[in-house]
Amino acid sequence: MAGLELLSDQGYRLDGRKATELRKLQARMGVFTQADGSAYLEQGNTKALAVVYGPHEMRGSRSRTLHDRAVINCQYSMATFSTAERKRRPHGDRKSTEMSLHLKQTFEAAVMTQLYPRSQIDIYVKILQSDGGNYSVCVNAATLAVIDAGIPMRDYVCACTVGFVDETPLADLCYAEESGGVSSLALALLPRGGQIALLQMDARLHQDHLETLIEAAMTACKGVSKVLDEVVRQHLQEASVLTGE
Amino acid sequence: MKLCVPGDKLCSSEDCIPGTGVYLRHGYIYSSLAGYVLRKNEGEELPVISVVRETETQLLPDVGAIVTCKVTSINPRFAKVHILYVGSTPLKDRFRGTIRKEDVRATEKDKVETYKSFRPGDIVLAKVISLGDVQSNYLLTTAENELGVVVAHSEAGAQMVPISWCEMQCPLTHSKEFRKVARVQPEYLQA
Repeated sequence: MAGLELLSDQGYRLDGRKATELRKLQARMGVFTQADGSAYLEQGNTKALAVVYGPHEMRGSRSRTLHDRAVINCQYSMATFSTAERKRRPHGDRKSTEMSLHLKQTFEAAVMTQLYPRSQIDIYVKILQSDGGNYSVCVNAATLAVIDAGIPMRDYVCACTVGFVDETPLADLCYAEESGGVSSLALALLPRGGQIALLQMDARLHQDHLETLIEAAMTACKGVSKVLDEVVRQHLQEASVLTGE
Repeated sequence: MKLCVPGDKLCSSEDCIPGTGVYLRHGYIYSSLAGYVLRKNEGEELPVISVVRETETQLLPDVGAIVTCKVTSINPRFAKVHILYVGSTPLKDRFRGTIRKEDVRATEKDKVETYKSFRPGDIVLAKVISLGDVQSNYLLTTAENELGVVVAHSEAGAQMVPISWCEMQCPLTHSKEFRKVARVQPEYLQA
């Protein structure tokens, strides 16, 4: 669209946010009772549902069992109604497979898999409404679901997608910004130790700007971790009131 | 009780020994679960610090435990059951168990007919004799007077009354059906 600036002169973005402002993050844990862990997370207009089963015995191919740790099996899919045009192939396409692999790599870094040899942990994430930052929202939702399932983790895994426009890093991109030709970078971080679990970028960026962009991404992730922390503590408080401890 | 989330630094490894739900890194103990911090003092050694979730860990059926199960299918050689309670604690998940033909009763083991001892839907008190190997389920036995069918429904659908160790009677149709009945101690029977 002509004339639509991703960052105005006064420093406002398309949706009125400032460059470093995150979208409104709301989340709930324990939305399904049948699954071992589940969470629903909204970041702006992007909505994701994550469900965790496990750790349980290896199902399917027994040959993929690891003798010293658990196998993490991730599946990413998008609802057919999640995008502007009805999606014809919700899972099995290349993008979904790649996302699933990235999620698997991210969680293998954070979950203490060596405590559960020869077993399998399943993480299923479904995007109900897609408005940019799909990977990040999935990671955040899956973190909450894994915590809800009681699977030990080293730390939270918080993710954020950042972009670079007019020498300024923009935190938490929405769909219009992502498709507006912004070089976007997705980062998954373990906030306490500042360790990067996954960094993904497939756009063009001058290497001088990389440092700034990663810094901005880490700051944004730490902001996300504060919100997730609030959600977890709130959920624990509610659960303790119910059990009377 | 203090709440903690994954990644919270709890204490230094010089103050406490790590227990479950925590991990050790660079000389400090961090939490790996979202739950409550428990510090247990065990003698003169350092206290053990662990993190537990609000739900208690599940009780697993052990060899020799009396379990309450529900029959799911029968076969001339054995009966398959779902274990529902261990002692008096209900289980969150249903474990599978098997009662072999020769473990149904103590006498005349070869003349047992499973069709005349159990039917699908019966509630049975049994004892665990083995945990089973990789593929098989828990092995149970009812070869004692106090073990066997406690609740059974007749073909008419009414709950039957036991009349002997091998028969139960339907109160509606007065027809008798064969079961391996448990002799429940009189103090456990409700009036």
